[in-house]
Amino acid sequence: MNEELILQHGLTLDEFQVIRKYLNRDLSIEELGIFSAMWNEHCCYKTSKKWLKKLPTDNEIVIQGPGENAGVIDLQDNDGIAFKIESHNHPSYIEPFNGSATGVGGILRDIFTMGARPIATLDSIRFGLIETEKTKYLLNGVVHGIGHYGNCIGIPNIGGECEFESTYDFNNLVNAMAVGHVQKDKIFYSKPKSIGGLIVYIGSKTGKDGIHGASMASDVFSEEDEDEKRPSVQVGDPFMEKLLMEGCLELMSSGLIESMQDMGAAGITSSSVEMASKGNVGVYINLDKVPLRQPLSAYEILLSESQERMLAVIDKKNNHKVREILQKWQIDYEVIGEITDTKRVVFESNNRKVVDLPVEIIVDDAPEYDREFYIPRKRKNKDFDFSKIKLEDMIINLLTNLNYLDKSWVFDQYDSTVMGDTIREPGQSSGIVKIHGTQKVIGASTDCNPLYIRINPYEGMKYTVAESYRNLIACNINPLAITNNLNFASPLDPNIMGELVLSIHGLKTAAVKFNTPIVSGNVSLYNQTNEIPIKPTPVIGMVGSNMDLNKINTNKFCEIGNKILILGKQLTKNCSPYLLQDQKIAFNICEFNDLEVLDLDFEKKIANCVLELSDLKCIISCNDISRGGIFSALLKMQYKDMGFRVKVPDPIDLFCEYSAGYVIEIRSKDFEEVTSFLTKKGAEYHEIGEIIKEGIEINSKKFDYFDIMNKYRNDFEKIIS
Amino acid sequence: MSFKSAVITFPGSNCDRDALCYLKDLTKGEVHNIWHEETSLPKVDLVILPGGFSFGDYLRSGAMASKSKIIDEVVKHANDNRYLLGICNGFQILTEIGLLEGALIRNKKLKFLGKNCFIKKKFKNNFNLSIKDNQILQIPVAHNEGNFYCDTETLNLLKNNEQIAFEYCKGEFSNTEENINGSIEAIAGITNKKKNVLGMMPHPERAYSDFHQSQDGRFIIESLIS
Repeated sequence: MNEELILQHGLTLDEFQVIRKYLNRDLSIEELGIFSAMWNEHCCYKTSKKWLKKLPTDNEIVIQGPGENAGVIDLQDNDGIAFKIESHNHPSYIEPFNGSATGVGGILRDIFTMGARPIATLDSIRFGLIETEKTKYLLNGVVHGIGHYGNCIGIPNIGGECEFESTYDFNNLVNAMAVGHVQKDKIFYSKPKSIGGLIVYIGSKTGKDGIHGASMASDVFSEEDEDEKRPSVQVGDPFMEKLLMEGCLELMSSGLIESMQDMGAAGITSSSVEMASKGNVGVYINLDKVPLRQPLSAYEILLSESQERMLAVIDKKNNHKVREILQKWQIDYEVIGEITDTKRVVFESNNRKVVDLPVEIIVDDAPEYDREFYIPRKRKNKDFDFSKIKLEDMIINLLTNLNYLDKSWVFDQYDSTVMGDTIREPGQSSGIVKIHGTQKVIGASTDCNPLYIRINPYEGMKYTVAESYRNLIACNINPLAITNNLNFASPLDPNIMGELVLSIHGLKTAAVKFNTPIVSGNVSLYNQTNEIPIKPTPVIGMVGSNMDLNKINTNKFCEIGNKILILGKQLTKNCSPYLLQDQKIAFNICEFNDLEVLDLDFEKKIANCVLELSDLKCIISCNDISRGGIFSALLKMQYKDMGFRVKVPDPIDLFCEYSAGYVIEIRSKDFEEVTSFLTKKGAEYHEIGEIIKEGIEINSKKFDYFDIMNKYRNDFEKIIS
Repeated sequence: MSFKSAVITFPGSNCDRDALCYLKDLTKGEVHNIWHEETSLPKVDLVILPGGFSFGDYLRSGAMASKSKIIDEVVKHANDNRYLLGICNGFQILTEIGLLEGALIRNKKLKFLGKNCFIKKKFKNNFNLSIKDNQILQIPVAHNEGNFYCDTETLNLLKNNEQIAFEYCKGEFSNTEENINGSIEAIAGITNKKKNVLGMMPHPERAYSDFHQSQDGRFIIESLIS
């Protein structure tokens, strides 16, 4: 086999030799395609596996950890919650609308493949500077795509994040997360149960879209590639997915299928190989039976990533009933093969075996690399000059920075109230939905602090996990588990590999301390174009719960005259990275001081105080303090024309970042009770002011409330259009 | 006599469950879920055509659903002087069937709109009886094609016959819009001439329970039951 062909398939010559030696024969082109699909980063995690193994993935509430289509946690009374986050970065840069739409479609399939009904989605999206020519087009396309898919299928979008930074100019990130509800005794796994079971194809016909999508997602970009790679982007049909979801959920609840696998990345190849591997069995599939949209070669069928397709295993006797149900939903259905005892993957086309491989070589012998990595150098400490900074300018700096402005323009394009169970919509610290027909609620949040992680990957990752944690705590949601989406540039650069290794280590430390295991995740590497790497962006999706929806806190001010208290510890202004960056004090990444060590025990202590005070109904509203400090937290809390009057020793304090930072609103009459509670717990607090009507007042200086609010609420749309 | 109702489900409907819960919780009576391929409809007081993307909204929102088998029965139900409510995609379907005037075109800003909106009643009918004049209701919208349009002649007819049930308005606080989607005369919902068929873009079934942001969606069912 010629070298060029092997390299085109994304395999190294060494990797090819391993296969060649194992088989002791030449490979068919179809077999080469299979290895291309299965041995890339996206499917086999060859770079990250060694480090991912170190993450905590289990505790008393984990029903299913990583390794299935989604992780599942236990929420008592037979309620399980399935969730996962997944990236669709590269496709969304090449074709933002379809790229992001199919990202949502893919993650929803991961959820309902487990037998769970999706109940919420979130998305973490990052773009380059708005001044960059393409950003507006990408932003419009991505938001439109996410909305189009989720709105049509009818799953509420309850939150996420949207940031702009030059590091994403040529590599925007689109990470979509979905959460589903499943009855614990009705969870479906991808492992087939019996030899002789029929392998059936359910869903859209197979076409040419997305051929080689998974290997594309594991590749470095150059700008010229873009047009050439567009055909690798899949095209989504949310209506078909809605039918597929209802059809599959009906099949599952009727007990007619044994196992199910979504045809996602690497299509029928990946789903059938995984099925065989999980069950320690073999699969035989006749490719001539696969429903096609257009004439395709065996090679193309194997690698197509056409959307809205599932592979399932059923008992022969149920064939007729399954067909009947799917007919009602107008979904294509075909028996295409069966489970065998050979432990081999066999694909036949035109009476010819085009693929005949032992499962072992594809899955168990997949490469695993221990790549070289460097640990970042220790930073020198320096004092910055804050003398020229004026309060007015600091406020203007925030109000002219997209990252701080209200993102309604984004989430107003999403349906966030369909299904009728939404408690907190996007724009609050965490999105919250009720589990249908119960009093239980699920909260979820996605976060990442790339700047922190670039400065110090280990500590920075701890801050990222802590921020997600605080987002949930602020709403009185008890954090339970994590899904992660590790977006990095090329791991072949030891500096980047170092960021990957250390941030996974930081994730581990924080997850162990918070008892929030990682139950699912995704890795997206090679996010770099023209040799410009993205900042490390390991996104966290954290899920938590409260058994009583009446105990949930709002993030919005409730009553004029109520007091405003601050909990937590302020980071010094020399060590508040976003303050330094966004107030234009530090420009270059080498200028920043190292991060202060984050005390996770302190985070937990303050969090427990917030939870207890919330249960006592002493907290009227609460928000966490993150980028933009107290000022930004207060802006987000304004509601119904209520503003704030605060006094602080130094106005810069209002813009510093925090560890364990929360703004809480309390009634004057509860002041004694709250403060003595906090004192007893040894939790420091600061009373900084009160809620006032239509005003913003800082250290007796009055600002124009409506001017500030108008900019905060409406300038995002002005800037991006 | 207990109040009986039904919700029609088309392929792609995604607010059918919400509408069923809304009816069960507020009417306390019998509620049926009817698949679009059925050819008979139980005798009920109210039928809801729910929101969603029936048949993917391909061709035109509501166009394909308006040709479903069950539609003949829905029309008979309406001609029988019983209540028919189309919410969002249901409203679009009603205009496609021709039970309601006008059409729903793309929102003024050409973007999907999912947010709270404020409406008040324009002319009294059986669907809004228990709502006070000038009372502002907060109810979510979620649509891409909610911009109500009709020609001047039709608009005059709608006004003269008092068929405009709801119009968008500003909320109590700053930063709320007068007319969120550009509908002609800010129309949010209309009835037929006999006022037993109502189509509206806002989703009352997402604003009735204690945990919802607003409970103003209750008024519609309460008006019908009273």
